[in-house]
Amino acid sequence: MVVVVFTLLGLLLIVMQTTIFMFNPLWVAAPDLYYILVAYLAYRFDLLRGLIIIFPLSWTLDVFSGVVLGTYPMICFGAFLLLKVMAAKIAVRESLYQIPLIGVSYLVISKMVHLVLSFFEPGTITPWSWVDMGIRVALMILLAFPLFRFFECIYKRLQRSFIPYKMLRVRVGNRYRQENG
Amino acid sequence: MRPRGSSKSKRSSRFRAFRLILLSGVLLTLTLIFLVSTLGSQKFGMLHKLIFEATGPVQQVFAGATRYVVGFKNDYIDLMGVRDENKRLWEELQECRAVAYRNREALATNARLRKLLEFKKRSGLSMLSTRIAGKDPSLWFRTVIIDRGSSDGVMKGMPVVTDAGIVGQVFTVSPNHAKVLLAIAPSSAIDVLLQKSRVRGILKGTGSLTFKLDYVLKTVDVKEGDHVVTAGYGGLFPTGMPVGVVSKVIRKRRGMFLEIEITPAVDFLTLEELQVIEQERPFTE
Repeated sequence: MVVVVFTLLGLLLIVMQTTIFMFNPLWVAAPDLYYILVAYLAYRFDLLRGLIIIFPLSWTLDVFSGVVLGTYPMICFGAFLLLKVMAAKIAVRESLYQIPLIGVSYLVISKMVHLVLSFFEPGTITPWSWVDMGIRVALMILLAFPLFRFFECIYKRLQRSFIPYKMLRVRVGNRYRQENG
Repeated sequence: MRPRGSSKSKRSSRFRAFRLILLSGVLLTLTLIFLVSTLGSQKFGMLHKLIFEATGPVQQVFAGATRYVVGFKNDYIDLMGVRDENKRLWEELQECRAVAYRNREALATNARLRKLLEFKKRSGLSMLSTRIAGKDPSLWFRTVIIDRGSSDGVMKGMPVVTDAGIVGQVFTVSPNHAKVLLAIAPSSAIDVLLQKSRVRGILKGTGSLTFKLDYVLKTVDVKEGDHVVTAGYGGLFPTGMPVGVVSKVIRKRRGMFLEIEITPAVDFLTLEELQVIEQERPFTE
Protein backbone atom coordinates (compact mmCIF):
# COMPACT_ATOMS: atom_id res chain seq x y z
CA MET A 1 0.00 0.00 0.00
CA VAL A 2 2.84 2.37 0.88
CA VAL A 3 4.40 1.72 -2.53
CA VAL A 4 1.13 2.43 -4.36
CA VAL A 5 0.45 5.61 -2.41
CA PHE A 6 3.95 6.98 -2.88
CA THR A 7 3.90 6.10 -6.58
CA LEU A 8 0.65 8.04 -7.01
CA LEU A 9 2.07 10.87 -4.96
CA GLY A 10 5.10 10.97 -7.24
CA LEU A 11 2.89 11.12 -10.32
CA LEU A 12 0.91 13.94 -8.76
CA LEU A 13 4.11 15.86 -8.06
CA ILE A 14 5.20 15.44 -11.68
CA VAL A 15 1.86 16.69 -12.97
CA MET A 16 2.08 19.69 -10.64
CA GLN A 17 5.60 20.37 -11.74
CA THR A 18 4.70 20.35 -15.44
CA THR A 19 1.59 22.49 -15.07
CA ILE A 20 1.20 24.91 -12.19
CA PHE A 21 4.90 25.42 -11.47
CA MET A 22 5.85 26.06 -15.10
CA PHE A 23 4.57 29.49 -16.06
CA ASN A 24 6.20 29.37 -19.47
CA PRO A 25 8.35 26.85 -21.37
CA LEU A 26 11.55 28.61 -20.23
CA TRP A 27 10.62 29.08 -16.58
CA VAL A 28 13.63 28.54 -14.33
CA ALA A 29 12.20 28.93 -10.82
CA ALA A 30 10.27 25.66 -10.85
CA PRO A 31 11.30 23.26 -8.08
CA ASP A 32 12.15 19.69 -9.05
CA LEU A 33 9.62 18.12 -6.69
CA TYR A 34 10.22 14.62 -8.00
CA TYR A 35 13.82 14.82 -6.86
CA ILE A 36 12.77 15.60 -3.28
CA LEU A 37 10.61 12.48 -3.35
CA VAL A 38 13.52 10.43 -4.70
CA ALA A 39 15.67 11.75 -1.85
CA TYR A 40 13.01 10.88 0.70
CA LEU A 41 12.72 7.38 -0.74
CA ALA A 42 16.48 6.97 -0.51
CA TYR A 43 16.48 7.97 3.15
CA ARG A 44 13.33 6.21 4.31
CA PHE A 45 12.63 3.21 2.09
CA ASP A 46 14.53 0.02 1.54
CA LEU A 47 16.25 -0.59 -1.80
CA LEU A 48 13.55 -2.77 -3.37
CA ARG A 49 10.55 -0.64 -2.49
CA GLY A 50 12.44 2.51 -3.45
CA LEU A 51 13.29 1.17 -6.87
CA ILE A 52 9.73 -0.04 -7.43
CA ILE A 53 8.45 3.51 -6.84
CA ILE A 54 11.19 5.22 -8.83
CA PHE A 55 10.69 3.05 -11.92
CA PRO A 56 7.24 4.43 -12.97
CA LEU A 57 8.22 7.85 -11.71
CA SER A 58 11.25 8.18 -13.98
CA TRP A 59 9.36 6.64 -16.86
CA THR A 60 6.60 9.23 -16.55
CA LEU A 61 9.16 12.01 -16.39
CA ASP A 62 10.72 10.73 -19.59
CA VAL A 63 7.30 10.90 -21.24
CA PHE A 64 6.56 14.44 -20.06
CA SER A 65 9.99 15.92 -20.54
CA GLY A 66 12.95 15.86 -22.86
CA VAL A 67 13.88 14.33 -26.17
CA VAL A 68 16.37 11.74 -25.00
CA LEU A 69 14.69 8.70 -23.47
CA GLY A 70 16.44 7.43 -20.39
CA THR A 71 17.53 10.82 -19.08
CA TYR A 72 15.27 10.73 -16.05
CA PRO A 73 15.85 7.08 -15.14
CA MET A 74 19.55 7.99 -15.13
CA ILE A 75 18.93 10.95 -12.82
CA CYS A 76 16.46 9.19 -10.51
CA PHE A 77 18.28 5.88 -10.09
CA GLY A 78 21.62 7.64 -9.84
CA ALA A 79 20.34 10.02 -7.18
CA PHE A 80 18.60 7.22 -5.27
CA LEU A 81 21.70 5.08 -5.10
CA LEU A 82 24.02 8.00 -4.36
CA LEU A 83 21.85 9.26 -1.52
CA LYS A 84 21.39 5.75 -0.15
CA VAL A 85 25.16 5.31 0.03
CA MET A 86 25.64 8.79 1.49
CA ALA A 87 22.92 8.24 4.07
CA ALA A 88 24.52 4.95 5.12
CA LYS A 89 27.98 6.46 5.44
CA ILE A 90 27.02 9.71 7.16
CA ALA A 91 27.11 9.86 10.96
CA VAL A 92 23.75 11.63 11.43
CA ARG A 93 20.86 9.26 10.76
CA GLU A 94 17.97 11.72 11.12
CA SER A 95 16.60 12.35 7.63
CA LEU A 96 15.82 16.04 8.22
CA TYR A 97 19.48 16.77 8.94
CA GLN A 98 20.40 15.24 5.60
CA ILE A 99 18.45 17.80 3.57
CA PRO A 100 21.52 19.81 2.45
CA LEU A 101 22.80 16.60 0.90
CA ILE A 102 19.87 16.67 -1.50
CA GLY A 103 21.14 19.89 -3.08
CA VAL A 104 24.67 18.56 -3.35
CA SER A 105 23.56 15.26 -4.83
CA TYR A 106 21.25 17.08 -7.26
CA LEU A 107 24.15 19.15 -8.57
CA VAL A 108 26.47 16.13 -8.82
CA ILE A 109 23.97 13.90 -10.59
CA SER A 110 22.76 16.67 -12.91
CA LYS A 111 26.31 17.55 -13.93
CA MET A 112 27.15 13.91 -14.57
CA VAL A 113 24.03 13.31 -16.67
CA HIS A 114 24.64 16.57 -18.55
CA LEU A 115 28.16 15.43 -19.37
CA VAL A 116 26.93 12.03 -20.51
CA LEU A 117 24.24 13.56 -22.74
CA SER A 118 26.63 16.16 -24.14
CA PHE A 119 29.00 13.36 -25.07
CA PHE A 120 26.56 10.80 -26.49
CA GLU A 121 23.82 13.15 -27.79
CA PRO A 122 25.61 16.37 -28.71
CA GLY A 123 23.43 19.32 -29.65
CA THR A 124 20.30 18.05 -27.95
CA ILE A 125 20.49 19.86 -24.64
CA THR A 126 20.98 23.45 -23.59
CA PRO A 127 24.38 24.51 -22.24
CA TRP A 128 25.02 24.06 -18.51
CA SER A 129 24.09 27.13 -16.48
CA TRP A 130 25.32 27.45 -12.87
CA VAL A 131 22.88 30.29 -12.21
CA ASP A 132 19.83 28.31 -13.30
CA MET A 133 21.02 25.22 -11.45
CA GLY A 134 21.70 27.33 -8.36
CA ILE A 135 18.13 28.62 -8.41
CA ARG A 136 16.79 25.09 -8.73
CA VAL A 137 18.98 23.81 -5.89
CA ALA A 138 17.97 26.70 -3.61
CA LEU A 139 14.30 26.07 -4.32
CA MET A 140 14.71 22.38 -3.68
CA ILE A 141 16.42 22.88 -0.34
CA LEU A 142 13.75 25.39 0.60
CA LEU A 143 10.94 22.97 -0.22
CA ALA A 144 12.65 19.82 1.03
CA PHE A 145 11.81 20.38 4.70
CA PRO A 146 8.03 20.89 4.31
CA LEU A 147 7.81 18.13 1.73
CA PHE A 148 9.78 15.73 3.94
CA ARG A 149 7.40 16.51 6.81
CA PHE A 150 4.47 15.88 4.48
CA PHE A 151 5.90 12.57 3.21
CA GLU A 152 6.74 11.52 6.76
CA CYS A 153 3.22 12.29 7.88
CA ILE A 154 1.76 10.17 5.08
CA TYR A 155 4.25 7.38 5.72
CA LYS A 156 3.42 7.20 9.43
CA ARG A 157 -0.28 7.36 8.77
CA LEU A 158 -0.06 4.50 6.29
CA GLN A 159 1.93 2.42 8.75
CA ARG A 160 -0.54 3.08 11.57
CA SER A 161 -3.61 2.04 9.69
CA PHE A 162 -2.23 -1.08 8.08
CA ILE A 163 -0.98 -3.21 10.95
CA PRO A 164 -3.81 -5.69 11.49
CA TYR A 165 -1.36 -8.56 11.58
CA LYS A 166 -0.46 -7.61 15.13
CA MET A 167 -4.05 -8.08 16.15
CA LEU A 168 -4.38 -11.35 14.27
CA ARG A 169 -1.10 -12.74 15.53
CA VAL A 170 -1.40 -16.20 17.11
CA ARG A 171 -0.35 -15.94 20.70
CA VAL A 172 0.88 -19.02 22.51
CA GLY A 173 0.36 -19.82 26.15
CA ASN A 174 -1.78 -18.16 28.73
CA ARG A 175 -1.60 -14.40 28.40
CA TYR A 176 -3.45 -13.85 31.68
CA ARG A 177 -2.15 -14.22 35.20
CA GLN A 178 -3.43 -17.33 36.82
CA GLU A 179 -5.34 -17.17 40.13
CA ASN A 180 -3.37 -18.41 43.08
CA GLY A 181 -4.84 -21.41 44.81
CA MET B 1 -51.53 84.13 86.64
CA ARG B 2 -50.86 83.17 82.97
CA PRO B 3 -47.32 82.80 81.82
CA ARG B 4 -45.83 85.61 79.74
CA GLY B 5 -44.38 83.31 77.08
CA SER B 6 -47.76 81.87 76.09
CA SER B 7 -49.28 85.30 75.21
CA LYS B 8 -46.21 86.11 73.15
CA SER B 9 -46.45 82.96 71.01
CA LYS B 10 -50.19 83.55 70.48
CA ARG B 11 -49.44 86.97 69.11
CA SER B 12 -46.75 85.65 66.83
CA SER B 13 -49.02 82.95 65.42
CA ARG B 14 -51.70 85.49 64.69
CA PHE B 15 -49.17 87.69 62.88
CA ARG B 16 -48.02 84.73 60.80
CA ALA B 17 -51.58 83.97 59.75
CA PHE B 18 -52.09 87.57 58.79
CA ARG B 19 -48.95 87.55 56.68
CA LEU B 20 -50.03 84.43 54.92
CA ILE B 21 -53.43 85.80 54.12
CA LEU B 22 -51.87 89.04 52.90
CA LEU B 23 -49.39 87.21 50.65
CA SER B 24 -52.10 84.97 49.28
CA GLY B 25 -54.25 87.99 48.59
CA VAL B 26 -51.43 89.78 46.79
CA LEU B 27 -50.60 86.69 44.74
CA LEU B 28 -54.23 86.13 43.88
CA THR B 29 -54.62 89.74 42.91
CA LEU B 30 -51.51 89.60 40.72
CA THR B 31 -52.67 86.38 39.13
CA LEU B 32 -56.04 87.88 38.43
CA ILE B 33 -54.44 91.01 36.99
CA PHE B 34 -52.11 88.81 34.85
CA LEU B 35 -54.94 86.63 33.66
CA VAL B 36 -57.24 89.54 32.92
CA SER B 37 -54.49 91.48 31.16
CA THR B 38 -53.33 88.44 29.17
CA LEU B 39 -56.66 87.02 28.23
CA GLY B 40 -58.16 90.38 27.71
CA SER B 41 -55.58 92.15 25.58
CA GLN B 42 -53.82 89.04 24.14
CA LYS B 43 -50.62 91.02 24.34
CA PHE B 44 -47.15 89.41 24.68
CA GLY B 45 -46.18 91.54 27.61
CA MET B 46 -43.07 92.36 29.54
CA LEU B 47 -43.45 89.40 31.83
CA HIS B 48 -43.77 87.04 28.95
CA LYS B 49 -40.62 88.40 27.43
CA LEU B 50 -38.82 88.17 30.72
CA ILE B 51 -39.79 84.51 31.13
CA PHE B 52 -38.97 83.88 27.53
CA GLU B 53 -35.50 85.34 27.88
CA ALA B 54 -34.88 83.47 31.13
CA THR B 55 -36.00 80.05 29.90
CA GLY B 56 -34.69 80.32 26.32
CA PRO B 57 -31.06 79.49 27.11
CA VAL B 58 -32.10 76.59 29.33
CA GLN B 59 -34.22 75.29 26.51
CA GLN B 60 -31.31 75.65 24.14
CA VAL B 61 -29.05 73.67 26.43
CA PHE B 62 -31.59 70.88 26.75
CA ALA B 63 -32.34 70.85 23.05
CA GLY B 64 -28.61 70.67 22.28
CA ALA B 65 -28.11 67.85 24.73
CA THR B 66 -31.07 65.98 23.27
CA ARG B 67 -29.73 66.46 19.76
CA TYR B 68 -26.34 65.21 20.86
CA VAL B 69 -27.80 62.10 22.50
CA VAL B 70 -30.04 61.37 19.50
CA GLY B 71 -27.11 61.96 17.12
CA PHE B 72 -24.85 59.72 19.15
CA LYS B 73 -27.49 56.99 19.21
CA ASN B 74 -28.02 57.29 15.46
CA ASP B 75 -24.26 57.22 14.82
CA TYR B 76 -23.90 54.13 16.96
CA ILE B 77 -26.74 52.37 15.18
CA ASP B 78 -25.28 53.43 11.83
CA LEU B 79 -21.88 52.16 12.89
CA MET B 80 -23.37 48.81 13.76
CA GLY B 81 -24.96 48.69 10.31
CA VAL B 82 -21.84 49.94 8.56
CA ARG B 83 -19.92 46.78 9.34
CA ASP B 84 -22.57 44.61 7.69
CA GLU B 85 -22.91 47.04 4.84
CA ASN B 86 -19.15 47.15 4.39
CA LYS B 87 -19.02 43.36 4.28
CA ARG B 88 -21.86 43.23 1.77
CA LEU B 89 -20.30 45.93 -0.41
CA TRP B 90 -16.91 44.22 -0.24
CA GLU B 91 -18.46 40.94 -1.37
CA GLU B 92 -20.22 42.79 -4.19
CA LEU B 93 -16.93 44.38 -5.19
CA GLN B 94 -15.22 41.00 -5.23
CA GLU B 95 -17.98 39.58 -7.41
CA CYS B 96 -17.76 42.55 -9.76
CA ARG B 97 -14.00 42.21 -9.97
CA ALA B 98 -14.32 38.49 -10.72
CA VAL B 99 -16.88 39.20 -13.45
CA ALA B 100 -14.68 41.95 -14.88
CA TYR B 101 -11.69 39.60 -14.84
CA ARG B 102 -13.68 36.85 -16.58
CA ASN B 103 -14.88 39.36 -19.15
CA ARG B 104 -11.37 40.61 -19.82
CA GLU B 105 -10.15 37.02 -20.09
CA ALA B 106 -13.01 36.15 -22.46
CA LEU B 107 -12.21 39.21 -24.56
CA ALA B 108 -8.53 38.31 -24.73
CA THR B 109 -9.35 34.67 -25.61
CA ASN B 110 -11.81 35.88 -28.20
CA ALA B 111 -9.21 38.15 -29.78
CA ARG B 112 -6.61 35.37 -29.79
CA LEU B 113 -8.97 32.83 -31.30
CA ARG B 114 -10.19 35.36 -33.85
CA LYS B 115 -6.61 35.97 -34.95
CA LEU B 116 -5.99 32.23 -35.17
CA LEU B 117 -9.16 31.76 -37.20
CA GLU B 118 -8.19 34.56 -39.58
CA PHE B 119 -4.73 33.06 -39.90
CA LYS B 120 -6.25 29.66 -40.61
CA LYS B 121 -8.48 31.12 -43.34
CA ARG B 122 -5.72 33.28 -44.77
CA SER B 123 -3.16 30.48 -45.00
CA GLY B 124 -5.55 28.10 -46.71
CA LEU B 125 -3.89 25.19 -44.93
CA SER B 126 -5.65 22.41 -43.09
CA MET B 127 -4.98 23.08 -39.42
CA LEU B 128 -5.92 21.57 -36.11
CA SER B 129 -6.39 23.85 -33.13
CA THR B 130 -4.83 22.72 -29.89
CA ARG B 131 -3.89 23.99 -26.45
CA ILE B 132 -0.80 23.49 -24.34
CA ALA B 133 -1.50 20.95 -21.58
CA GLY B 134 1.92 20.82 -19.93
CA LYS B 135 5.41 22.23 -20.14
CA ASP B 136 8.77 20.56 -19.92
CA PRO B 137 10.06 21.05 -16.36
CA SER B 138 13.66 20.44 -17.38
CA LEU B 139 16.25 23.17 -17.84
CA TRP B 140 17.88 21.28 -20.70
CA PHE B 141 15.00 20.53 -23.05
CA ARG B 142 12.36 22.75 -24.64
CA THR B 143 9.17 20.81 -25.27
CA VAL B 144 5.47 21.23 -24.52
CA ILE B 145 2.60 18.74 -24.33
CA ILE B 146 -0.52 19.48 -26.41
CA ASP B 147 -4.02 18.10 -25.99
CA ARG B 148 -4.29 16.51 -29.44
CA GLY B 149 -2.96 13.16 -30.50
CA SER B 150 -3.00 10.51 -33.19
CA SER B 151 -6.77 10.05 -32.81
CA ASP B 152 -7.14 13.65 -34.04
CA GLY B 153 -4.82 13.02 -36.97
CA VAL B 154 -1.64 14.38 -35.41
CA MET B 155 1.53 12.66 -36.64
CA LYS B 156 5.19 12.89 -35.83
CA GLY B 157 6.93 15.72 -37.66
CA MET B 158 3.85 17.88 -38.24
CA PRO B 159 4.61 21.60 -37.98
CA VAL B 160 3.12 23.55 -35.11
CA VAL B 161 2.49 27.26 -35.59
CA THR B 162 0.62 30.30 -34.35
CA ASP B 163 -0.59 33.30 -36.28
CA ALA B 164 2.76 34.98 -35.46
CA GLY B 165 4.93 32.25 -36.92
CA ILE B 166 6.47 28.84 -36.37
CA VAL B 167 6.52 27.23 -32.92
CA GLY B 168 8.05 23.81 -33.52
CA GLN B 169 7.15 20.34 -34.67
CA VAL B 170 5.48 17.28 -33.23
CA PHE B 171 8.05 15.02 -31.66
CA THR B 172 6.08 12.12 -30.17
CA VAL B 173 2.42 11.18 -30.35
CA SER B 174 -0.01 9.14 -28.27
CA PRO B 175 -3.74 8.73 -29.05
CA ASN B 176 -4.80 11.90 -27.24
CA HIS B 177 -1.64 13.86 -26.60
CA ALA B 178 1.53 14.87 -28.39
CA LYS B 179 4.87 16.30 -27.42
CA VAL B 180 6.01 19.31 -29.44
CA LEU B 181 9.69 20.11 -29.82
CA LEU B 182 9.90 23.89 -29.72
CA ALA B 183 11.94 25.62 -32.41
CA ILE B 184 14.09 27.20 -29.68
CA ALA B 185 15.25 23.73 -28.51
CA PRO B 186 18.90 22.99 -29.26
CA SER B 187 17.91 19.80 -31.10
CA SER B 188 15.54 21.63 -33.46
CA ALA B 189 16.70 22.36 -37.00
CA ILE B 190 14.50 23.96 -39.67
CA ASP B 191 15.20 24.98 -43.25
CA VAL B 192 14.71 28.72 -43.63
CA LEU B 193 15.28 31.57 -46.09
CA LEU B 194 16.38 35.13 -45.68
CA GLN B 195 13.32 36.75 -47.21
CA LYS B 196 15.15 39.57 -49.04
CA SER B 197 18.16 37.72 -50.43
CA ARG B 198 16.40 34.32 -50.71
CA VAL B 199 19.52 32.72 -49.22
CA ARG B 200 18.94 29.44 -47.47
CA GLY B 201 20.17 28.51 -43.99
CA ILE B 202 19.48 26.13 -41.14
CA LEU B 203 17.66 27.58 -38.16
CA LYS B 204 18.83 26.08 -34.88
CA GLY B 205 17.47 26.64 -31.37
CA THR B 206 19.72 27.90 -28.63
CA GLY B 207 17.61 26.93 -25.62
CA SER B 208 16.95 30.60 -24.89
CA LEU B 209 14.65 33.09 -26.59
CA THR B 210 16.77 33.34 -29.75
CA PHE B 211 17.59 31.23 -32.78
CA LYS B 212 20.85 31.00 -34.63
CA LEU B 213 21.06 30.79 -38.36
CA ASP B 214 23.77 28.45 -39.60
CA TYR B 215 25.41 27.88 -42.96
CA VAL B 216 24.96 31.38 -44.42
CA LEU B 217 28.08 32.34 -46.35
CA LYS B 218 30.05 35.47 -45.52
CA THR B 219 29.54 36.74 -49.04
CA VAL B 220 25.79 37.12 -48.43
CA ASP B 221 24.52 40.59 -47.57
CA VAL B 222 22.62 40.16 -44.30
CA LYS B 223 21.52 43.09 -42.17
CA GLU B 224 19.83 43.45 -38.81
CA GLY B 225 16.08 43.63 -39.29
CA ASP B 226 16.00 41.23 -42.25
CA HIS B 227 13.08 38.86 -42.09
CA VAL B 228 13.50 35.10 -42.00
CA VAL B 229 10.83 32.74 -43.34
CA THR B 230 10.48 28.99 -43.72
CA ALA B 231 12.00 27.55 -46.90
CA GLY B 232 9.50 24.77 -47.37
CA TYR B 233 12.14 22.27 -48.51
CA GLY B 234 11.22 18.71 -47.70
CA GLY B 235 7.58 19.67 -47.41
CA LEU B 236 7.61 19.83 -43.68
CA PHE B 237 6.87 23.52 -43.12
CA PRO B 238 4.91 25.46 -45.74
CA THR B 239 6.99 28.05 -47.61
CA GLY B 240 7.04 31.64 -46.39
CA MET B 241 5.89 31.22 -42.80
CA PRO B 242 7.35 33.89 -40.49
CA VAL B 243 10.25 32.69 -38.37
CA GLY B 244 11.83 35.83 -36.98
CA VAL B 245 13.99 38.86 -37.57
CA VAL B 246 17.79 39.08 -37.77
CA SER B 247 18.95 40.76 -34.55
CA LYS B 248 22.72 40.30 -34.72
CA VAL B 249 25.23 39.52 -37.48
CA ILE B 250 28.79 38.57 -36.55
CA ARG B 251 31.50 38.32 -39.21
CA LYS B 252 34.48 36.46 -37.78
CA ARG B 253 37.82 36.51 -39.51
CA ARG B 254 37.99 32.76 -39.56
CA GLY B 255 35.48 30.39 -41.10
CA MET B 256 33.24 30.52 -44.14
CA PHE B 257 29.94 31.30 -42.48
CA LEU B 258 28.33 34.19 -40.70
CA GLU B 259 27.09 33.95 -37.12
CA ILE B 260 23.53 35.21 -37.24
CA GLU B 261 21.18 35.61 -34.29
CA ILE B 262 17.45 35.65 -34.94
CA THR B 263 14.75 37.01 -32.64
CA PRO B 264 11.69 34.71 -32.96
CA ALA B 265 8.47 36.04 -34.39
CA VAL B 266 6.55 34.00 -31.83
CA ASP B 267 6.60 34.95 -28.16
CA PHE B 268 7.47 31.61 -26.57
CA LEU B 269 6.73 32.90 -23.09
CA THR B 270 3.05 33.42 -23.77
CA LEU B 271 2.17 30.36 -25.84
CA GLU B 272 -1.36 29.08 -25.22
CA GLU B 273 -3.31 28.11 -28.33
CA LEU B 274 -1.43 26.47 -31.19
CA GLN B 275 -2.21 25.17 -34.67
CA VAL B 276 -0.95 21.85 -35.98
CA ILE B 277 -0.64 21.92 -39.75
CA GLU B 278 -2.12 18.68 -41.04
CA GLN B 279 -0.19 16.87 -43.71
CA GLU B 280 -1.12 13.82 -45.70
CA ARG B 281 2.42 12.51 -45.79
CA PRO B 282 3.52 11.49 -42.34
CA PHE B 283 7.04 12.01 -41.15
CA THR B 284 8.88 8.68 -41.31
CA GLU B 285 9.96 7.41 -37.91
